[in-house]
Amino acid sequence: MPDRKLPRLLQAPAVLLLLVWMLVPLGMTLYFSFIRYVLNNLRHPEWTTPSPSNWRGFGNYQFVLNSKDFLLAIQNSLFIVCSILFLTVTLGILIAVLINKAFPGQGIVRVLLISPFFVMPAVNAVLWINMILDPVLGLQGIAVSGINDVVDGLRQAPVLGSFFSLWPEFEPISFRATQTSAIAVIMMVTWQWTPFAVLIFMTSLQSEDQQQKEAAVLDGAGTWSQFRFLTLPHLGRPIAIVVMIQAIFHLSLYAEIEIVSRGNGNKNLPYLIGEFANNNIGAASATGIFAVILANIVAIFLLRAVGKTLME
Amino acid sequence: MAIVAQSSKFSTYGRPILAWGVGLLFFFPIFWMILTSFKTDADAVKPEHLIFFTPTLENYLNMTQNYDYWRFARNSVITAVSATVFTLFVSIPAAYAMAFNPTRRTKDVLMWMLSTKMLPAAAVLYPMIFLAKGIGLYDTHILVIAVLSLINLPIAIWMLFTYFKEIPKDIIEAGKMDGVNTWGEIKEILIPLAWGGIASTALLIFIFCWNEAYWTVRLTTVDAATLSKLIEGNRAPEGLFFGRLSAVSTAAVGPIVVLGWFCQKQLVQGLTFGAVK
Repeated sequence: MPDRKLPRLLQAPAVLLLLVWMLVPLGMTLYFSFIRYVLNNLRHPEWTTPSPSNWRGFGNYQFVLNSKDFLLAIQNSLFIVCSILFLTVTLGILIAVLINKAFPGQGIVRVLLISPFFVMPAVNAVLWINMILDPVLGLQGIAVSGINDVVDGLRQAPVLGSFFSLWPEFEPISFRATQTSAIAVIMMVTWQWTPFAVLIFMTSLQSEDQQQKEAAVLDGAGTWSQFRFLTLPHLGRPIAIVVMIQAIFHLSLYAEIEIVSRGNGNKNLPYLIGEFANNNIGAASATGIFAVILANIVAIFLLRAVGKTLME
Repeated sequence: MAIVAQSSKFSTYGRPILAWGVGLLFFFPIFWMILTSFKTDADAVKPEHLIFFTPTLENYLNMTQNYDYWRFARNSVITAVSATVFTLFVSIPAAYAMAFNPTRRTKDVLMWMLSTKMLPAAAVLYPMIFLAKGIGLYDTHILVIAVLSLINLPIAIWMLFTYFKEIPKDIIEAGKMDGVNTWGEIKEILIPLAWGGIASTALLIFIFCWNEAYWTVRLTTVDAATLSKLIEGNRAPEGLFFGRLSAVSTAAVGPIVVLGWFCQKQLVQGLTFGAVK
C-alpha cells in the first residue's frame, strides 16, 4: 500500500541526513576521546595520527578532570548562562508588560526593540567591546574621562570645591581582563536576547484572558496583584521555553567569549575545548563528551516541557 | 477609583515615555555603529567629534580596499541562499508527510530531530575538520552549505510542520481523489496553500545561516570565508579603525536586521517550535 510507504520515503532524506550528522562526528569524538591523539609531538610522532594502537582508556578524561581549567570552565559556563537567563527573563517580562498596551508609536518601538536580535554575534561582540566598552576610546572611556573633567572643574569652585576634592578620580573598567570579561559577555548577550524574550512574552500576553482581568479589577485587585496572580501564571510556559531555548544556545557560546577575552582566563566549556584542540585532540574530545552530557541534562527538561504542549 | 485614575495617567504619559526610552536604549548600540560608520577613523575616537562631525562615505567606498568586503559578502550570499534552498527541499516533503500522514512514531521522530539541535557544536567540530580535510572539502562552499543546512533542518521541519498542521486535511484529500500524485499534491496544492508559512520559514533559516558564527569561522580559511569570519578576524582594531570597522559591520548586519523586522511573528513560532502562539 503506497499510503504507508510514501510518507516514510518523503521523510527518509531528512532522517538519514540528521542521523549521519549526529552519529558520525559524535562517534568519532567518542573514539578520539579514548586514544592519544595530538597534532604535534616530536618524541611520539605516532600519536599524531588517530589509531586504536594509541589507546588511552579513560586517560584523557582523567587528564581533563585533573586540569584546573575544567572546573573553572564549567563554573564560568553556568555563571554566564544563569546570569543571562535571569536578566533576559526579568527584563523581558517587564518590557513585554510595558509595551503590550497600545501607545503612540508602539509599532516603531517594537521594531527598535527587536533589532538587536538580528545582529550577527561577531558584530555584536566587536561593537560592544570596542566602540562601547573600551576603557579609553569607547563610549565608556569617553564618559569616564568626561565625568572626571567635570569633577576636576568643580574642585576649583569656591565653597563646593572642598567637597568635590574629596571625590576620587574615576577609573574606567577594562572589560578584556579576566574578572570582567564575563560581565561584558553577559551584557552583550543580554542585549541581544532580551528582545527574543520580549517578543515571546508579548505574543503570549496577547492571548491573556481580558475578561478575567476586568473581573479582577471590579473585585478591587490592584495592578500588582493582577500581575502576580494572573499575568505571571499565564506566562509560566513561555518562561520555561525561553529559559530552555536560551540555555541550549548559551551553553555553546563561543564567538563572544573569544572576541572579548581572547582566552584571558574567562573560558567556558566550548572555549576550553577549542584551547585543548590546539594540540591535544584527545583531551578536547573528552571535554566535548562532558559538554554533550551537560547539554543533554538541559535538553531532557526542554524536550519534556515542549513535547507536552506540541502535539495537541 | 483612585487606582483607575492613577493607572490611566500612567497610560497617557508614563507608558509611552518609558516604552520609547527602552526602545531607544536597545537600539542605541546599532545607532552608534551606524553613526560611527560615517566618521573618519581619526574622528571616531575623538571625544570632541562624538556627536558633531563631518559625515563621510569614505569608509563605505573603501570597504573593498580595506577588507575585501564583497568577496566575503558573496560567500555569505552563496552559502546562505544555497543552504536555505537545500533545507527547504529536504524539509518540505518531510513535514508534509508528518503533517498529513502521521504515524504513532511521528512525534518521536520530531522530538529526536529537535534533540540533534542540542548537540554542542564544539564537541563535534574536530571530527568534522578531520573528515572535511580527509575528503578535500575543507574551506569550500559545499561544506559550509552542508553544515548550515544540517544545523537548520530540524527548525525548518518543525516550523513547516506547525504550518502544515493548520491546513485542513480535506483539501489534500480532494487532490488525491482527482488522481494527482504526491509530487503534484505538494507542488499544486500544498505549496500554494502554505506559501506564507514556507516563505517565512525560508526567511528565518536564511537569517540564521547568515549570522552563523561557529561553524563558518572554523571550517573556512579563505575561499569560503563568510562575513562572520571577516568581522571576527578584525576583532581587535585597537581604536585605529573604528570608522571603517563600523561601516563593514553595518553593511554586514543592515540587510538582515531589516529582513528580521518583517518576520517577528514567524520568529516566535519558529523558535518556540509552535508552543507559544
